[in-house]
Amino acid sequence: MNKKYHWPGESRFLGYLYILPGLVIYLLFVLYPVLETVRTSFYRWDGFTVNRTFIGLQNYRQLLIDHQFLQALSHNLIFIVFYSIIPIILGIILASLLGRRRLPGMTFFRAGLFLPQVISMVVVGVMWRWIFNPVFGPLNAFLKLVGLNSLARPWLGDFTLALPSVGIIGTWVMYGFCMVLFLAGMQRIPEDYYEAAELDGANEIQQLRYITLPSLRPEFGVALITTIIAALRVFDLVYVLTRGGPGDRTLVVAFLVYRAAFQQNRIGYAAAVATVLTLIILLISFLILRFQSRSEE
Amino acid sequence: MKRIVLQSLGLGLVVVLLLAACAPAATPAVEPTKMPEEAQPAPTQPPAETVTLVVWDQYARDVESEVMNQINKEFEQAHPGVKIERVVKSFDDLKTTIKLALGQPDGPDVAQVNQGQDMVAIVAGDLLLPLDDYAAKYKWREIFPESLNSRNSATATGFGQGNLYGMSVTAEFVGVYYNKGKFEKYGWKLPATFDEFTKLLADIKAAGEIPITFGDLDGWPGIHMFSSVQHVLVDVDYINNFTYGLNNVSFDIPENREAAKIVQGWAKDGYFTDGFMGIGYDDSLKIYKSGQGALMITGTWAAGEFVTDTDQKFGNFLMPQKTPDTPQLAIGGVGLPFCIRKGSKNADLAAEYINFLVSPRAAQLWAEKGILPAAPLPADYKVEEGTLLADQVAAWNTLLKSNGVGHYIDWATLTMYDTLNAELQKLFAGETTPEQFTAAVQADYAKR
Repeated sequence: MNKKYHWPGESRFLGYLYILPGLVIYLLFVLYPVLETVRTSFYRWDGFTVNRTFIGLQNYRQLLIDHQFLQALSHNLIFIVFYSIIPIILGIILASLLGRRRLPGMTFFRAGLFLPQVISMVVVGVMWRWIFNPVFGPLNAFLKLVGLNSLARPWLGDFTLALPSVGIIGTWVMYGFCMVLFLAGMQRIPEDYYEAAELDGANEIQQLRYITLPSLRPEFGVALITTIIAALRVFDLVYVLTRGGPGDRTLVVAFLVYRAAFQQNRIGYAAAVATVLTLIILLISFLILRFQSRSEE
Repeated sequence: MKRIVLQSLGLGLVVVLLLAACAPAATPAVEPTKMPEEAQPAPTQPPAETVTLVVWDQYARDVESEVMNQINKEFEQAHPGVKIERVVKSFDDLKTTIKLALGQPDGPDVAQVNQGQDMVAIVAGDLLLPLDDYAAKYKWREIFPESLNSRNSATATGFGQGNLYGMSVTAEFVGVYYNKGKFEKYGWKLPATFDEFTKLLADIKAAGEIPITFGDLDGWPGIHMFSSVQHVLVDVDYINNFTYGLNNVSFDIPENREAAKIVQGWAKDGYFTDGFMGIGYDDSLKIYKSGQGALMITGTWAAGEFVTDTDQKFGNFLMPQKTPDTPQLAIGGVGLPFCIRKGSKNADLAAEYINFLVSPRAAQLWAEKGILPAAPLPADYKVEEGTLLADQVAAWNTLLKSNGVGHYIDWATLTMYDTLNAELQKLFAGETTPEQFTAAVQADYAKR
């Protein structure tokens, strides 16, 4: 029966059956909570009692004049430099150093440089909190040892340096990821291109600029999207290191969500902040993808 | 074809299992709850009516947890047929889960509930049993002065008044720890007035020692630093009014500006550990017990830390007042109260249990492990002289006598904790003036 619509292989209907388990999990644990969050953002609710009042867009209106939210958002944007731009630059430099030659102990270097990406963020935070400790941390101890006492600072508690200090840790975590991504991409580039370029007298810098970088465009797209998302949703590092302090200097949007939801019992407002953060992330990801596919044409 | 059918069947099974696994989570209230009595067949013992009392507490650290286990054991021995099912949570964990747990028909019978706005929210949700009748029956109001009972009282809109909802078992206050070795070495005397205290700080600094070990990276230790001085300059009525939100008091008053000026001055004069803005609280405890710093201003909960793994000897005194006759006032309170869930089938037994928790015997069990109990100790029990605990028991008795147990001012509103943390960090770092500080805090307080 149904000979007319018969496609080669198994019936099409069966395809949906294959994705069903995944789809069920996705709907239950991703899509439903997301929609529920968006719905909650239109309510005033303390999170556990039945007193839930519909207040329309009031949470969003309040958000626009919340100077803490705007400040937190600006910190997230600054984190893009530390989480995205610097790691991508470092990653491409390291990848071109490691990728084109056969160094003895390559695997060791590659694994070592990737290691920060593997460690849990909470562990990273605890470790760096120790490194930055003004009394017994190794960073200030080192500065004092080499006679740079004047540079020793209470890093995480310094109003000017706290944000860059937390940011640098982001760089440390992300550059290994970018490097591995670029290394993988470079394996795709045929060796002939480089040979031809060499015969034509192109030096290493020129080879990087005219062969490696243009060939890695898809990897740049992936690196940008992943790292920018990471920068926009920073939570764990700030939670472990500074709790948004000193003052509000390291406050980030995700921490604001946590504080509103679990410390101040303002679930509706927290949901509104989370929804706006999600929209911003979606918008930026969309723009990067658009830009990338257009430049590929 | 057969293969496909089998695969589809397998997949279908997975889906059914998944849905089955999710169903109870989605509709917890519909799930019929078995009463604990039925669930306890007790095969070896004759099935006398075994009653299980579910108790949630947050005494999670080793020593505290040991004391609670001992207390529970003694209660079970005194009440045959009663079994206590203890659930231990960290404070943060309890704080976030208790509200939902108290709403369940099979929730805990007895649970510790955070005072202040948390308790107000739970009372507003009608999840706790008022204990006033039990308090009359067991004469609980004679154990604590009214100022302590009011901390465990709440209405649906505020705390500090209304029905009594719980009883606390441990006490705490913020005092001044001092390093006995250093005091002996330099011949410093314990100060009797706040002026003497200020002079002592200058002497310590002049001797080349760090006057106060302090770390404000976590924010909240700053509240205790500021408010310790604030408690010297204001009276108990102001602190009560501010914390309970009564009588329209303001934060922007001369006394608070003065306290802010004093602690900012200490920061400027280098009286705190170098780099204190970048030091976390737990690290500051380690630094202090390693012998760096003459004084440390923090709560009694740190005492355990100062008697283990250290070669230093520490004592404790209350922040001195303006004159020796000013009634003593210090930041302090009682631990999280034990409350009874509204709807618990074992409310009478739960009250009996709480009555044992505040008994002299239980107080002694805490004291034996170096932890300050809220309830009075047995008349014949003596704390070992010269110990940190002896200092703290004496200080606690002084505070009870002078009705001078103050408050953690960050309880006042749900946002006060975050606001004070941030504004005090700005103050300590010299980013703001004392005037800007009090104005900023008042601006947030006025929103309540």
